[in-house]
Amino acid sequence: MKGRSMLPLGLMLVLIVALGAYTATRQSAFLGKENLNALLLEAMPLILVSLGQAVALLVGGFDVSVAALMTMVVVTASFTLTPTTSGIALVPGVLALVGVGVATGLFNAFLIRGLRLPSIVATLGTLSILEGASLWLRGYPTGAINTDVTSALTSAWGFVPIAFVGVVLLAVLGDLGLYRSRTGLGLRAVGLDETSSRRLGMSTGRTIVLAFVVCSVMATIGGFYLAAEVQIGSPIIGNQALESIAAAVLGGASLAGGRGSFVGTLLAAFFLTEIDNILPLFQQPTEYADMAIGALILLALLLYQSPVLVARFRGSRRTVEPAEASTG
Amino acid sequence: MSNPGPVTPDVLRARGLSKAFGAVQALSDVSVDCRAGEIHALVGENGSGKSTLLGIASGFLAPDEGTVEIGGTRLDRHSPAAARRLGLGIAYQDYSHVLDLSVAENVYLAAPADQRPSYGHMQSWAEETLAGFKVDVPVTAVTGALSLAERQLLEVVKALLARPNVLLLDEPTTALGPDAVEQLHSLVLEQAKAGVGIVYVSHRLPEVLAVADRVTVLRDGVGQGTFEAASVDEDAIVALMIGRPLKVAFPERPTLPADAEVVLAVSGFQGERFGPVDLEVRKGEILGIAGAEGNGQVPFLRALAGAEHATGTASCDGARIDTRTPAGSLRAGVVLLSGDRKGEALFPVMSVRANATIQIIRRLARLGVVRRSRERQAMAELVDRLRVRMASSEQPVSSLSGGNQQKVSLISSFLRGDVKVILAEEPTQGVDVGARFDIYEALRAKSEEGVAAVVKSSDPLELSGLCDRVVVMSRGRIVEEIPRHELGERRIVEAIVGSRAGRGAGNGADA
Repeated sequence: MKGRSMLPLGLMLVLIVALGAYTATRQSAFLGKENLNALLLEAMPLILVSLGQAVALLVGGFDVSVAALMTMVVVTASFTLTPTTSGIALVPGVLALVGVGVATGLFNAFLIRGLRLPSIVATLGTLSILEGASLWLRGYPTGAINTDVTSALTSAWGFVPIAFVGVVLLAVLGDLGLYRSRTGLGLRAVGLDETSSRRLGMSTGRTIVLAFVVCSVMATIGGFYLAAEVQIGSPIIGNQALESIAAAVLGGASLAGGRGSFVGTLLAAFFLTEIDNILPLFQQPTEYADMAIGALILLALLLYQSPVLVARFRGSRRTVEPAEASTG
Repeated sequence: MSNPGPVTPDVLRARGLSKAFGAVQALSDVSVDCRAGEIHALVGENGSGKSTLLGIASGFLAPDEGTVEIGGTRLDRHSPAAARRLGLGIAYQDYSHVLDLSVAENVYLAAPADQRPSYGHMQSWAEETLAGFKVDVPVTAVTGALSLAERQLLEVVKALLARPNVLLLDEPTTALGPDAVEQLHSLVLEQAKAGVGIVYVSHRLPEVLAVADRVTVLRDGVGQGTFEAASVDEDAIVALMIGRPLKVAFPERPTLPADAEVVLAVSGFQGERFGPVDLEVRKGEILGIAGAEGNGQVPFLRALAGAEHATGTASCDGARIDTRTPAGSLRAGVVLLSGDRKGEALFPVMSVRANATIQIIRRLARLGVVRRSRERQAMAELVDRLRVRMASSEQPVSSLSGGNQQKVSLISSFLRGDVKVILAEEPTQGVDVGARFDIYEALRAKSEEGVAAVVKSSDPLELSGLCDRVVVMSRGRIVEEIPRHELGERRIVEAIVGSRAGRGAGNGADA
């Protein structure tokens, strides 16, 4: 595919398989259907929020408020999706959660485009507001969440959650859109060079606003899966902000904007969850996971950038890409 | 070009445009028209308001006052997209390319929606499109890998994709060699013949006059009149471009001893945006660098100061300067006074004292503790000599006027005591007239102590008054050297617009 490195996808795939294979030889339970089902479901919140984060990174921004938004969604769900409601009465409750997500996205976008705050600072403010609001609504984990909703979210074909198939499709379609369509090209152009994009007549402001709203909505959906996991209105649950950025970057996103891959992000988010899932099987403390993830991110980034580094050391300009064979 | 002027409609009508950036009035009450099929040259010195005028006409900037009509319709929303819909195309001086995307992708993005093929056919379509304009660049190449000349031609092609009725060209030949200029001009003439109105901004007078029907001259943001190109000569236009009413005093220039030794020697010095440059500056000499903006003057100075990558050699007092890092150049005694004072030369939020002494803070410390009294003592004499006006040495440097800020950055480098070469980029930009003299005097006094100075300025008057010698840069190279006895504002402007060089080479437009 043009203009895009497949390296992150390949690396993530290799790591996922290698780690899985190694674990399977040591712990036969790992490849059991129950564990695989649990692993895939456990990965859902991070995958969803990371896909959203990848969109924010594409336009050259960050959204560190996503985890607090997910917490807010869980807390709100404990009010709007109570066990006593059922059937059609649940719809307003779901819409309320989506409303929280869209409102958060618009608020972030207003801070970033309207007030011209750097996205990292703006979303840091939003993070604090949402965290405070969650604690105000639920001082401690309480308030059961409707199981009709949560079991619908987690329904599966065999051991594969339907929703997992959904996000895989979403990521594949996302990448096709990003690298094989005019809209995707426009999105990448805005992330790579906003001034030139504006000069070319693109509505860069609208693109960036939309990107932050999409990011928040994806975090909201991730919040639904977090709610399905904990099933209770916990105010201290979401901690995926940095992990989601890590997943997007491991998946090939550039912090400078304009680059990234949804499939790569999905694989990276899955891999990060896999590490978390496996360590308890070996009775290893999670500190090791944190350290391993950190080291891995650094290594991966070095690897992704290496051709650029090489070119830089040579002091030469980027080379012209050879014409590609048909990408049909 | 022969067009029945009065009957052809105006495709662009700019009326009473005014625009200020902060305290600087970039344009005041300027009106320009462009008829269908006409090539309308817009000329003026650096900072005369040409680019601001184009920015407003293309919807990128909003005017403070005045209106723009494109094809008879008023541009009421200030967005490039709106101007484009009304039939305006623009080739920006600094381009509109997304450098990380391929040529095909850039061309695709620039085309209006109804002309774009399906995404899958982009490459073959882009190839055909470029071939149609006789531009030969590989469409699969990353745009950032193209040469500057290729980028410039591509920019013009992109502006033409939407088949505009008005085409604005902002310095379209800055990076082009003679052949490419020829190629561009035939493209432009073809478009004009087809009825497109073209506003052609350039500082290269012979080039632009060779194709223009009418000329409008700007000076300091004020229109100096519009003329039939056939009825005016270059001299008359140059006269309109210069001639500032302002009187500025300059310090005395002592005669340079004939045997003054060379301090700064540069040979085969070359970077991505300039060179190769060969140059020698002697002890006590102030050398001026003139040229239209964007012809490599700033990258050249920055490369000497180690702030930009370059190859070739540069030596100071016979020792080679390590220009790989700013620290290397500083060690050799080469100091850059950056034109971007707030961004590079000073720490805006820190105090005057801290800014003045920051480079020598180690020397002022005893047992690692800095004493304020010693700091103030160290800077006191220079503060006096340079007449820095401030309420207190503790106020943030950003609260000073532009002139006083520049004085503080001078103090900071003078205090080092090991300075052998001063590279000054626009030393008096944003500096009021009174403070200018102080800065000139400080530079001159330093040069009399045996320092060599290189001053890059876009003000020919300043260069002719301050410098012992001026070199003119164009397309990254030194194209002319003006000795002291020939120095004058007019002489420098003529060298910049290339009228003398053009005549000398025998290819002047109407010599």
